[in-house]
Amino acid sequence: MDIIIPPLVLGSLGMILGVLIFLVGKYFGVEEDHRIDDIEKMLPKYNCGACGFAGCRDMAKALLTGSCRAESCKPIKKEDQENLNRYLDELLQGIPVTK
Amino acid sequence: MAELIAIAFAAFFVENVLLTQFLGICSFIGVGKKRSSSLGMGLAVVVVIILSSVVTWLIYNFVMVPLEIEFMKTIVFILVIAALVQMIEIIIKRFSPSLYKALGIYLPLITTNCAVLGVALTNVKEGYNFSQMIVYATAIPLGYLFVMYIYAIIREKMEFSPIPKAFQGIPIAMVLAAILALIFSRFGGLA
Repeated sequence: MDIIIPPLVLGSLGMILGVLIFLVGKYFGVEEDHRIDDIEKMLPKYNCGACGFAGCRDMAKALLTGSCRAESCKPIKKEDQENLNRYLDELLQGIPVTK
Repeated sequence: MAELIAIAFAAFFVENVLLTQFLGICSFIGVGKKRSSSLGMGLAVVVVIILSSVVTWLIYNFVMVPLEIEFMKTIVFILVIAALVQMIEIIIKRFSPSLYKALGIYLPLITTNCAVLGVALTNVKEGYNFSQMIVYATAIPLGYLFVMYIYAIIREKMEFSPIPKAFQGIPIAMVLAAILALIFSRFGGLA
């Protein structure tokens, strides 16, 4: 019987904390531009920082504003890079480059 | 009261989390470059340590001790701290995007900052009651903030000093940390 208690406590604690995080995320969460998510998916997600930004998400934000190009990403695959550039060209068509 | 002051003094100077216990060094070297970011990181650590100490102390004394599973404290505390930092991150993002941006990658790093776990475990090991725990959990991160700020001021000044090429950057920062630790080791005579 004693062996049941520790996993039970840990499991229920994890459950409670999980629900709490969900609730906090639901009521306090900030909705971000979904295009950032789309771009981030096309990046390698290594968070290597070779582009000079603090991680892939930060670079995705910069790509969205047009302040950098997919070529800044060092470890990206050739086809992903082409896809990303195509996506960005469509997205940024006619939008002036902002800082 | 005198006992509480003794705990606070010991936690702030004698057992300084950075320079005597050597916990949380990663952020010390990483964020201690600029005064503004060291202040932001220090304040975030203050909030996280106080909150996590209260929560872990309550869980330990009211759940784990009655069930006699004290041996689980490390894994339970890690779980609680990680979840707490997640929640704080979401809330900061909502109410202060500028602070969120300033903290950047360091906020998730608090999750793995051993100072937070160290305080939670020390509270339990020393068998502090609630008021002692609050005093200890406030004094430790304030000591962190204090040392971090001094360190950042000196490092900002050092930017303009003629440092030999081999020592530039992290090496001289390590030397500075060692000298500060030497100074703080003298407080050991007071305890």
